[in-house]
Amino acid sequence: MQRESGKTDAPERRRSVVWSVLAQPRWLSALSVLGALAAWWAITAFAVVPAVLLPTPGEVVSATIDILRNGYRETTLWQNVGSTLWRCGAGFFLAVLTGVPLGLAMGYWPPIRAATNYIVQFMRPLPPLSYVILLIIWIGTDDRSKIVLLYLTAFPIVASSAMAGVRAVSQQRVQAARALGASEWQVFRYVILPSAMPLSFTGARIALAAAFSTVVAAELNAATDGLGWMVISASRFLRNDVIILGIILLGVLGVALSAIVLAVDRRVVHWRGIE
Amino acid sequence: MIDQIAGGMSRRMFVKTVAISGAALTAGLPTRALLAAGKAPDTIRVSYFLETKPTMIAKGEGWFDKLSGGKCAWTEAGSGAEINAAFAGKSVDIGLAIGSSPTASGISQRLPYELVGMVDNIGPAEEMVVRKAANIKSVNDFKGKKVATPFGSTSHFRLLGFLKVNNLTQKDVTVLDMKPDAQVAAWTRGDIDAAYVWSPAKSKMLDSGGELFTTNKDLDAKGYVIADLIVAGTEFSKTYPDALTGFLVAYRNALKMWQTKPDEAASIVAKQAGVSAEVAKRDMEEYDFVTFEKQLTAEWLGPPGKAGKFAEVLKRTADFLVEQKSIKSAPDLAAFQNGINTTFLAQAVKAAG
Amino acid sequence: MIKRSEMAGHRRMPDWVVTGCSVALLIVAWVVATEGGFVDDLFMPSPSSLWAGFTDLVEDGYKSRTIWEHAGLSLERVLAGFVTGAVAGTVVGLAMGYNRVIEACLAPFVEFLRPLPQLAYLVLLIVWFGIGETAQIVLLFLTAFPVSAIAAMDGVKSVSRQRMQVARSLGASNWQIFRFVVFPSALPEIFTGARLAIGVVYATLIAAEIIAGSTGLGWVILDAGRFLRSDYVFVGILAIGLMGLVLDYMLVAIEHRIVHWAGKY
Repeated sequence: MQRESGKTDAPERRRSVVWSVLAQPRWLSALSVLGALAAWWAITAFAVVPAVLLPTPGEVVSATIDILRNGYRETTLWQNVGSTLWRCGAGFFLAVLTGVPLGLAMGYWPPIRAATNYIVQFMRPLPPLSYVILLIIWIGTDDRSKIVLLYLTAFPIVASSAMAGVRAVSQQRVQAARALGASEWQVFRYVILPSAMPLSFTGARIALAAAFSTVVAAELNAATDGLGWMVISASRFLRNDVIILGIILLGVLGVALSAIVLAVDRRVVHWRGIE
Repeated sequence: MIDQIAGGMSRRMFVKTVAISGAALTAGLPTRALLAAGKAPDTIRVSYFLETKPTMIAKGEGWFDKLSGGKCAWTEAGSGAEINAAFAGKSVDIGLAIGSSPTASGISQRLPYELVGMVDNIGPAEEMVVRKAANIKSVNDFKGKKVATPFGSTSHFRLLGFLKVNNLTQKDVTVLDMKPDAQVAAWTRGDIDAAYVWSPAKSKMLDSGGELFTTNKDLDAKGYVIADLIVAGTEFSKTYPDALTGFLVAYRNALKMWQTKPDEAASIVAKQAGVSAEVAKRDMEEYDFVTFEKQLTAEWLGPPGKAGKFAEVLKRTADFLVEQKSIKSAPDLAAFQNGINTTFLAQAVKAAG
Repeated sequence: MIKRSEMAGHRRMPDWVVTGCSVALLIVAWVVATEGGFVDDLFMPSPSSLWAGFTDLVEDGYKSRTIWEHAGLSLERVLAGFVTGAVAGTVVGLAMGYNRVIEACLAPFVEFLRPLPQLAYLVLLIVWFGIGETAQIVLLFLTAFPVSAIAAMDGVKSVSRQRMQVARSLGASNWQIFRFVVFPSALPEIFTGARLAIGVVYATLIAAEIIAGSTGLGWVILDAGRFLRSDYVFVGILAIGLMGLVLDYMLVAIEHRIVHWAGKY
């Protein structure tokens, strides 16, 4: 249940020191990641798949060093990471800034829900790749069309989770607050909003992940930098070492981003699970 | 104040002149017309394909910027469709090395651009690779086989032409839409029997159990010519004719370099494309880089005001795309003839002398 | 759900009227913009050219297949990827939420996979699973899996600790606590996760159909987009969007039957 391993249970204390260290979540995680890396190494070392298709860990490391030193096709690695983060962050924050208020309003006021929900629900499952070409026609090839693509990916998720959050609020509480004489605004501010926060944050995490996973689609077209661009352009020349490096970087960045949102979530929604 | 601006301008002009002469010296070419450059754009928005071609020399060495007099803003395109979309959205001025089939569809859809030059005649550079083990010796052996190609590309156009010329339908042959990298992956697994594609995917497959099934000569003869082209927005070419001419001169210089100093050229291209110099050289050797003089003959684009045979190629391509239900309708030949404007190409040849 | 607003509702229009008005407004704006000549057909097709595109697709199909075949194949892929991914994800997520050793071992991979762009590892899937349906379904599975897993895990973690303590003090076994306290309490979030999962699976459909395409609605949109056939692209987007809506409503209906206590405890 709890992530914190501060409190050790009685039986655990009796086990060997080694085991108790290894049993800590972070060591277990590290071990399982190491296991995966070892599996990768073994797959390439024993040539389970052809070398053309899966590079060895060593090749990826040397590609990394090369790119850190000389850059990839006149872009530095930091520039690529930075551009990807900027596009993703801009799209995501715009989505949160507009999606959360709309979602809360949709959850609280049925007329707003009736007027807008079908649009949000229609947009939500639309594959971003289906309208990439339209965005280029409408907005052009610069960063704006990429940010809009990521925004459109994140927005419906943020809005529907915020709405679901409001709608999942315990009615007893709302009624209790009203019985105690709370105004409409007070009910919203002190009952609905705090109760809707956990789901809104879950939604934000998922939206960030969705936006991030669309970053390659966004950088597929008319990009000059970014990690997605790096992977795509490397794949045109079948540079598998660069592709794998890109995948690892994208994955690690994605984990870091969701860890940040989770940390914010913990701070802001500290009442999650202890209501 | 006015004096200051004027002073600043003339200094910039001076710097530019020096830069141009420098570039011309490297390429060993004169620069007469460029010094007379009139209005120059601040930035030229170029949508280009990252390829192992001399275009990358001119890009990498900054010749396009120097000779056009504007700063080139480069965006990499993944497909010709994307360049077309960018032109529709008016967010690009020049499309570099767009294939002939997307160009034919763009002209049919009345996109605001004109064809101002050729990068290359693709010829044998895009070709059918068949798996040796699949035992494909004749056209009829393709029946029941799986052939992959990136849809919407020039290769796709020629593959469909190949089927049509040989009275095969897509019921006889399974045609799969796959990007080159996906083709290599599927090839390695043995999931596809053949692929119509370009290098590096082509050479990778040839290296791992593939052989060529030559189609290009036959198809070229039957009118399924494919080429990579340079298109420019009509608004841009009207406003900045000299910049466009300069842009073409830059490419011409790069072509000259590839012809005179192939090793040096290959290493510059390799750096741009992120591949080794040997790979770049081998890839480039497969293309037929038609000289500007030849492009201006009736065989290809034709002299200014008198479109050459290539207009018919475009028309045939567009008709074929209509047949495939890819585009709604194709205009008549005149529209394609009007879509070709070789004024700048002729200027570029004249400028170089 | 919120009674006060319903109570205030005697003066306001019923929901369907509001929705209807909003739809009508959108359509009028569209008709005026396109038929009025304010927007080029390339940018956005007019209702008439959209209709023409639609009838064309229905009558002649798209590139050697009828439009129903394309839609059917897409639906099959989505359902296969979603069902396998959501079930596996939920099981793993519940385990991760309940047991911290499992969480510690699996969390890095789930967290790594979730935001990873599918397009980045598309080629690897072809290498491992070939160009048939398997690779496409695996891609959709990998998309649904982490979303469901994390939702289920969050669901377990947000279970009221008081309740678990109460159950434990009443002598419930671990399994009983899980079965009668944790699982029901986590269900609303599991369903939210399922809806999000079907959303992302759907959104990844085109990426999946890039793998050796020539079938499926996603591929139709992609292929039509290559030639700026905005009429076909819009028909495809509408079809895909509507299918997505129907699937979502089906999930909501199931949710209401099963999680009838949501918001009531």
